[in-house]
Amino acid sequence: KLNKMRMELAWIVVIHLVGCLADPQDTSVLPEGFVDATQRSTHTNNWAVLVDASRFWFNYRHVANVLSIYRSVKRLGIPDSQIILMIADDMACNPRNPRPGQVYNNANQHINVYGDDVEVDYRGYEVTVENFVRLLTGRTQNGTARSKKLLSDAGSNVLIYLTGHGGDGFLKFQDSEEITSQELADGIQQMWEKKRYNELFFMVDTCQAASLYEKFTSPNVLAVASSLVGEDSLSHHVDPSIGVYMIDRYTYYALEFLEKVQPFSKRTIGEFLQVCPKRVCISTVGVRKDLYRRDPHKVPITDFFGAIRPTRVSTHRINVTLANEEDFIAQQDEEPLKKPFKIVLEPQFPSEFFK
Amino acid sequence: MGLLSDPSISTQSKLVAGLARHVGKVCLLLYVAGVAWFFCLALPEFNHGTYLSENALSPGLVYPEIRVDANRLAIQLLEELHRERKDHVSTTPHAWIAAKMNEFGLETHTHNYTLKYPFGGGKEYYGKNVYGILRAPRIASTEGIVFTAPYRAASSVHTDISPSVPLLLAFADFARRKNYWAKDLIFLVTEQEQLGMQAWLEAYHDGDREYEVNKTYLWSGNLPARAGSLQAALNIEVQDLEIDYVDVRIEGLNGKLPNLDMFNLVQRIMAREGIPSGYRQGPRKKRRHSRSAYEQNLRGILSMLSSQSSGVPNGNHGLFHRYRIDALTIAAARKPTHATLKGNPASAAVPLLKAIEGIARSLNNLLERFHQSFFFYVLVNNDRYISIGDYMPALVALVACAFVKAYLHWFMLPAATDLELEPEPEADAEVEGEPEEPFDRPYGSVMIYITATLMLGFLCNVLPLQQYFLEIPMGAAPLTTSVLSFLSLLGTVLPFVVVLPPGGLELLHVAFLLIYGCALIVVGLLNFGLGFFIAVLTVPLVISLETKEENWSSSYRHSVRLVTLILNPMMIVYVIVLGMTFYQFPELPMQKILLRAATAAMDASAYGLIDSVIYGNFLYFIVSTVFLPMWIMCWTLALSKRRDYADYLGFDEAPPPPRPPPNPRLKKTN
Repeated sequence: KLNKMRMELAWIVVIHLVGCLADPQDTSVLPEGFVDATQRSTHTNNWAVLVDASRFWFNYRHVANVLSIYRSVKRLGIPDSQIILMIADDMACNPRNPRPGQVYNNANQHINVYGDDVEVDYRGYEVTVENFVRLLTGRTQNGTARSKKLLSDAGSNVLIYLTGHGGDGFLKFQDSEEITSQELADGIQQMWEKKRYNELFFMVDTCQAASLYEKFTSPNVLAVASSLVGEDSLSHHVDPSIGVYMIDRYTYYALEFLEKVQPFSKRTIGEFLQVCPKRVCISTVGVRKDLYRRDPHKVPITDFFGAIRPTRVSTHRINVTLANEEDFIAQQDEEPLKKPFKIVLEPQFPSEFFK
Repeated sequence: MGLLSDPSISTQSKLVAGLARHVGKVCLLLYVAGVAWFFCLALPEFNHGTYLSENALSPGLVYPEIRVDANRLAIQLLEELHRERKDHVSTTPHAWIAAKMNEFGLETHTHNYTLKYPFGGGKEYYGKNVYGILRAPRIASTEGIVFTAPYRAASSVHTDISPSVPLLLAFADFARRKNYWAKDLIFLVTEQEQLGMQAWLEAYHDGDREYEVNKTYLWSGNLPARAGSLQAALNIEVQDLEIDYVDVRIEGLNGKLPNLDMFNLVQRIMAREGIPSGYRQGPRKKRRHSRSAYEQNLRGILSMLSSQSSGVPNGNHGLFHRYRIDALTIAAARKPTHATLKGNPASAAVPLLKAIEGIARSLNNLLERFHQSFFFYVLVNNDRYISIGDYMPALVALVACAFVKAYLHWFMLPAATDLELEPEPEADAEVEGEPEEPFDRPYGSVMIYITATLMLGFLCNVLPLQQYFLEIPMGAAPLTTSVLSFLSLLGTVLPFVVVLPPGGLELLHVAFLLIYGCALIVVGLLNFGLGFFIAVLTVPLVISLETKEENWSSSYRHSVRLVTLILNPMMIVYVIVLGMTFYQFPELPMQKILLRAATAAMDASAYGLIDSVIYGNFLYFIVSTVFLPMWIMCWTLALSKRRDYADYLGFDEAPPPPRPPPNPRLKKTN
């Protein structure tokens, strides 16, 4: 696969050179088939790593942030087995919580984001920089439960969401240690070298969040941050009945967007990158696209936030064992071409019976 | 070796020579700088606006949920309490309070304590506190917050603050219904002013202690139930349910203060509820702005420092500070009856209840003890403060005089090379004897002398409490005063009786300067007001004190001696009390004022002693054990009694015996 990509890259260069030589005015035109091929989704599975690195009751909003994103990716189809949720402090069972066992992301309290089916993989003091880096790089200690491993491969699209308290070049974990942007970049480079992702979407909501993706060098990484270096990310609103800030601004507006996304929607990552303009966010949302090959406006948002895989319908027999079996090859040659046919998608759940 | 030390000798001697010429000017400059710095502190450029530094508090993020029914309950409880007070004129209605706490579902206990009064023939007083614990519903009882209300019996001479108890109970009833407490809440009603509080705190923190029969005066007993480590405390003193303003009192034992965050928290929440409150808040009046902002600030600083310097807490909160529990008092004053704007009595206390709820919820949010903001600060006004880093330079500049002089005198001690500094033949003689025997300084005798003065000071603490003294049929005040005056007299006589060997005075001077400087810095760090005022008063004397005889006119020396006599600690106490008496009773004739001040000063010293043994106030200890010995040293230096060789031999049997006399052969040869 790598070879194929190298070929593609080489082709780009060649075509580009040819194009330049032929017509210096028209450099942007690439063969349509090629553009199509590169723009098409190439992943086979989706993973999400969602981290809340902060502790303490007054950081309730960070838990609400991460649980809201969790809720969205789960709704859009990533199964719990492929979501690694790290929450440093348990707000739901905090004795100060007037609503025990519940976490809300809005003062209206219409969604309890700490519902019945939240699976927290790393909780409490397990949320450390060490565990996070081990998780990303796949160097988990022996005996780590399967649910605590990021078992992604070269075909995985990985979403990493971080929230907590950050500064210029670091994110604080648990009020006791920090991960630096360099460590983060190293971790992602290792992921790339170990073929642990196909594309990576890095999303971070902290103060000076843009500093965290500055050091990235690995390919196929698209990064978005709630604030630029030197800016604070702000919270959105307070729930005066609980007495804490409920959610951060950037995540609030990101969710507003995500809530409208359905599994088969046509919304793109490009649209998502434009949520929370400075007028409502107060901080400036930072985007890093230079490591990403595709045009974000042609990438469906479900490439990262959902688990919609490209499906190819084949009418042929497919040999999944040994491609070189002679009778198979012979038979394939003999097989007559079938007529084109129509595919009908049956709903998975027969809802009409209950109407 | 020489490489490193040789050059320094020459620069040092140059420095010493230069310093010796200008020491007077340098010291004066430092003194003026220190005092000027202090006066600058009232300028807005030298102080900062207050801010909340602890994120966990999140004040005012919750809407208060306490409603008018809590106020109704408070009114009803107050009526009941007033009926009870008719039957309990001089006692506390413990049964009623405990019954109410039980009714509201608190875990109610009582606590008995005994005071064995050291004076007056060992009389015993008994007291009883009532407290109820509201256990945090969803967490182990590892931390607690205390809400206290002192109860004053109807016969008390102090202002009636009986509505505090109903208010506390009404809040307890409200809090009982809430599920968000992360710390146990203790509702405590104490009696006998600070004594009950002190006994309760002692019982809470070391209740299972073994008592030494003779040395313990407050037998605080043990508590049947506790609520973990106490994080903060709020003392409520309310004169009436209809309040006019809230005075926030913060000065605690030995001038300790609650964390600045706690004061800011209370201020912010009171402001949200629209209650006028502040440090030294007075009734609202139409202010004529006759005073400039600077003058107001300066008055604020001075009043805070002077109330801190006595070390006596101005409310029950002050005793918590000893156990590192941040606490303050909110003292709500009654609305004047002739007030034109009458509120609705049915909801009069709601703002205060809401404020208490807000404070409680913020304290409940604490994750660890207050630690973010300042513990050492001076409030300029309600929203400006001076941090320790900004006010200490004033004291350091004053004390620097002592260290500069100590440095100078230390290098002039051997004085072998600086012949031009010691022109007198008598000094010459010593100086030339020294280099041959450089260790001939009378360290031992000076040490013994200092120890003797310290012993005198220590006896001031111990003697008045000895059994045989206590058996003398005498009041506490005359007894303490007579012991103190006797010991001061001993100190005054000491330099006449004991004369230090040659060189001893100079050595004593250096030691005195060092001890003085260190003591002031330490006292100033713990209690800035006390340290600074003592420094302002005594540094001029310390600057002008010289042991050398030359270039001293006798009138100058006599005036220094006079000033030293006046600055005797007992004299200072008397003068302060005199000033206060004069300020309070200006109509009395001078003779009566002097007499009244004398009895008041005697009482003050006795109270100081009692405070130190019961509450742990260190003012008496510092004055008697640190400053009295230093005064004796000072007095010795001011007298500058020297022995010349003739009566040197005659003094051999004088107590305390100094070191064996230095080799007489050497002296004779000179």
